[in-house]
Amino acid sequence: MGTTASQLGKADLSEYQELTFLTKQEILLAHKRFTELLPKEEKNSTNARVPMTKILTLPELKSNPFKERICLVFSTTNPNDGSFSFDDFLDFLSAFSDSATLEIKSHYAFRIFDFDNDGTLSCGDLEKLVDCLTYESEDSRLTTEEMRQLITNILEESDIDKDGTVNLSEFQHVISRSPDFVSSFKIVL
Amino acid sequence: MTSSSSGGVFNPAYHDSETLEVDRRDKRSWTHHTNPYAGEDPAWWAERDDAEPGASSGGWRGGESFSMGLFSTSSGTNSWQHDANPHTPDSSSHYRSAAGLPSLMTGGMTMRWRGMAMRGMSMFPNADPTHAALAEDAIRSEVENEEQNLIKELIALSAGEQTRKIQELPQSFGEKKNIRRQVMAFKSSTNSHHFLCCTDCCRNMSLSFRRCGNGIKSARQTLKLWRGIMKEIGGRFGSSVLTYFLFLKWLLMFNIFSFLVNFGFITIPLLVHDLSANIPSNVSFRGLELLTGAGYFNYTVMYYGGYSNETLHGLVDYNMQLAYFFTIAVYMVLCGIVLIFSMASSFKKNYVLSDPASSRAWQLLCSWDFSLTNERAVRQRKNNLRVQLKESLSERAEKESITLSKELKQVGIHVGSWFLSTCLAVGCGASIFYLCQYGEEQAMDTAPWSLLQEAETLLVPFVVSLMNIVIPLFFSLFNKFERYSTHRRQIYALLIRNVLLRMSILGVLCYHWMNVVPQKYSCWEPMVGQALYRLVIIDFLFLMLGSFFGEFLSNVIGTKLQPRLGVPEFDVARNVLELVYAQTLAWIGIYFSPLLPAIQMLKFFILFYIKKVSLTRNCQPPRRSGRAAQMQTIFIFLLFFPFFVGALSIVAYTAWSLTPSEQCGPFQGLNNTFSVVSIWIHDLEAIPTSDWVVWIYQNVIRSELFYFLLTLIIIAIIYIFWQLTQGRKELINLLRQRIINVSLF
Repeated sequence: MGTTASQLGKADLSEYQELTFLTKQEILLAHKRFTELLPKEEKNSTNARVPMTKILTLPELKSNPFKERICLVFSTTNPNDGSFSFDDFLDFLSAFSDSATLEIKSHYAFRIFDFDNDGTLSCGDLEKLVDCLTYESEDSRLTTEEMRQLITNILEESDIDKDGTVNLSEFQHVISRSPDFVSSFKIVL
Repeated sequence: MTSSSSGGVFNPAYHDSETLEVDRRDKRSWTHHTNPYAGEDPAWWAERDDAEPGASSGGWRGGESFSMGLFSTSSGTNSWQHDANPHTPDSSSHYRSAAGLPSLMTGGMTMRWRGMAMRGMSMFPNADPTHAALAEDAIRSEVENEEQNLIKELIALSAGEQTRKIQELPQSFGEKKNIRRQVMAFKSSTNSHHFLCCTDCCRNMSLSFRRCGNGIKSARQTLKLWRGIMKEIGGRFGSSVLTYFLFLKWLLMFNIFSFLVNFGFITIPLLVHDLSANIPSNVSFRGLELLTGAGYFNYTVMYYGGYSNETLHGLVDYNMQLAYFFTIAVYMVLCGIVLIFSMASSFKKNYVLSDPASSRAWQLLCSWDFSLTNERAVRQRKNNLRVQLKESLSERAEKESITLSKELKQVGIHVGSWFLSTCLAVGCGASIFYLCQYGEEQAMDTAPWSLLQEAETLLVPFVVSLMNIVIPLFFSLFNKFERYSTHRRQIYALLIRNVLLRMSILGVLCYHWMNVVPQKYSCWEPMVGQALYRLVIIDFLFLMLGSFFGEFLSNVIGTKLQPRLGVPEFDVARNVLELVYAQTLAWIGIYFSPLLPAIQMLKFFILFYIKKVSLTRNCQPPRRSGRAAQMQTIFIFLLFFPFFVGALSIVAYTAWSLTPSEQCGPFQGLNNTFSVVSIWIHDLEAIPTSDWVVWIYQNVIRSELFYFLLTLIIIAIIYIFWQLTQGRKELINLLRQRIINVSLF
């Protein structure tokens, strides 16, 4: 722990604390875990990136059905390859931390669920979302009819302006009424 | 209706979403907007524009076919409204939530961001690719403009607010850093103009305060007990099982606090003053005391009887009577306040905000546990979720198909099982009553008991614990025959029956302790303390046995003998109720046995590990998920309402109305415990500087007028708040109507 603290400058650390919802311990732990993912020669460089494949080996993400989406949403590379810098990594942990607000959590949840990145949850996104959460094997899948019915229900419940998609504010509206969301949208290192 | 069929081409989302925003005051800011993915390169938007048409044209999810399905269910002019009603005011509770949750309403800013996001999103999909380059420039300047505005807004805020606001921006770290840097730069430049030592000082002060706060926060994090275990449980069993362990930990903290208070203010002064306990020579430690709490323990500081009524003369005079009275009183009041606050906050968060009849499908989708890390648990969770989703679909279809005769049968079964369970609860209470009477006839008021006599005292707690473990099984059996429309109702029915049982048992026991025991024994408080000690210990043993037989055996049966039954699930409701019951015993006992929290502490500490092992070895993740947050609220409410309030009234009754025993304890010779205070006030009258205390006591504590006025004021406040909520409800309806109107055009 001592060595990581020295690697992460005091100014940096306080800046991280100011800009994220994480505490000092959490940031230090995150730094430790992050440097473990880096190859040896890059351990000391400040803006090293960890590729997506490496990130996905984290036990906290390994079995998450949204792992690829999480990487793509929080990565700031251009074009987006899902790799994480330490800043991105902290962003990710901050959004999933205990103290993040509902606003932040629902914003990122929306972006994670928005598979085609078009800014609204269309029927295709919803279908993928349901698949992500229920799909195990071909035979246990929801039938097309069931899926259709389910998505009709979902839209009926949340699509206030009746445009056939769920936009961010409609989504946040739904989220604000499901109290389990905040406690379940959480990943701790 | 045209808008609904135009799908991806024209997106009216932003148009309507404007009506969603409560805060329309700063219309001005709506002219500037950025896109939600502000961090991404504008070129990327152009890429996406190409992808968009394809996305909206494929399959049944195209706008047209879809909207037909949607509106066929609600044909007719008025039917939209009508149809929307069953899943109650979608929008109304949003407003309610906005009003109730200040964090959602912090100025126009968060709202504005959301609004901007909306606009940004809907702006681009319909941008013509040929105009993309043009649009790009416009976007860039828009984004810059917006950022400038944001920075201006941030500069106007105080430092603490600023940090919070920047933290809450849904942007990447780099951008937040950038914004912060600009704000800082602006601040320092303005500061250099007019150098004010005072503001600088204030800045430093607030900075150090914040540092200090951060330090405390991280210190708390280090102290977090069982962090790894909690994470493991959450990762394997999901958050609903985790609530049990969090609740257990919370109660443990409660007990540690109460132990520290009692030990620090009552026991330590006595021990410092006089270390030697006055144990008669014919009493020795026999081992059975650990179970019965009688004999040797009777002469120690464990019970009320071990404390003296003297004023201890040391460095300062320490009045034991006052210390005992005020420690217990303050502890009970603190407990009450903590309970009320945690109950209110979790009630607000989990009940007021949520809409019971709303969006079952969404609730299921949104409650996916991101903390699950176990591969098998994830698979199981997915299966369960699929089953639940299918159920939610069939529930809708099935709703109308119940005939009258079936309904009558259902009602009959409900009435029958309620009658049976009430009878069982009352019967248990009655049998405990007779058992207590029998036990009292056997026992006698002379000191050293024989080993057999001591063992006999275990009969009552044994039967009580046995009832607590066996009768709930009957209740679960009844529950199998009944059919409730929702799973939640089923759990509530089960909970209410169990609470009824425990209350009737505890009520009878308390009646016995308050009315029979004081008449029989010359030193009655320690007797009650012993009875409570026995209950706590035997309850602990039964909890251990319960998790062994309940979970281990049913696991063995489920895996080896009867695979049909399957591996058991961890029954959160039953287990939490056991904890609540155990805590109630400790609360009642606090007056009679001040060190009971120590026992309770040990009990919960060991229980945590036992339950954890039993859970990981024997149980599978729950088949039904969701509603964990609401269940937690119910648990805290239960802990407060019948149980804490009951314990408080028992202790208060003892202190106010019962005569303390004449032979032992800190209050010997007084008419009732509370008269300690009047004696103290009488003493204070002699000291001229403490006039105000006497005045307060005479004119506030003892005056009916004060309480009368207080009650009146509270009633008035309640009335005002009630009117406020009524007004808000009306407002919600109006706003909802407006949304419907807007979306129709």
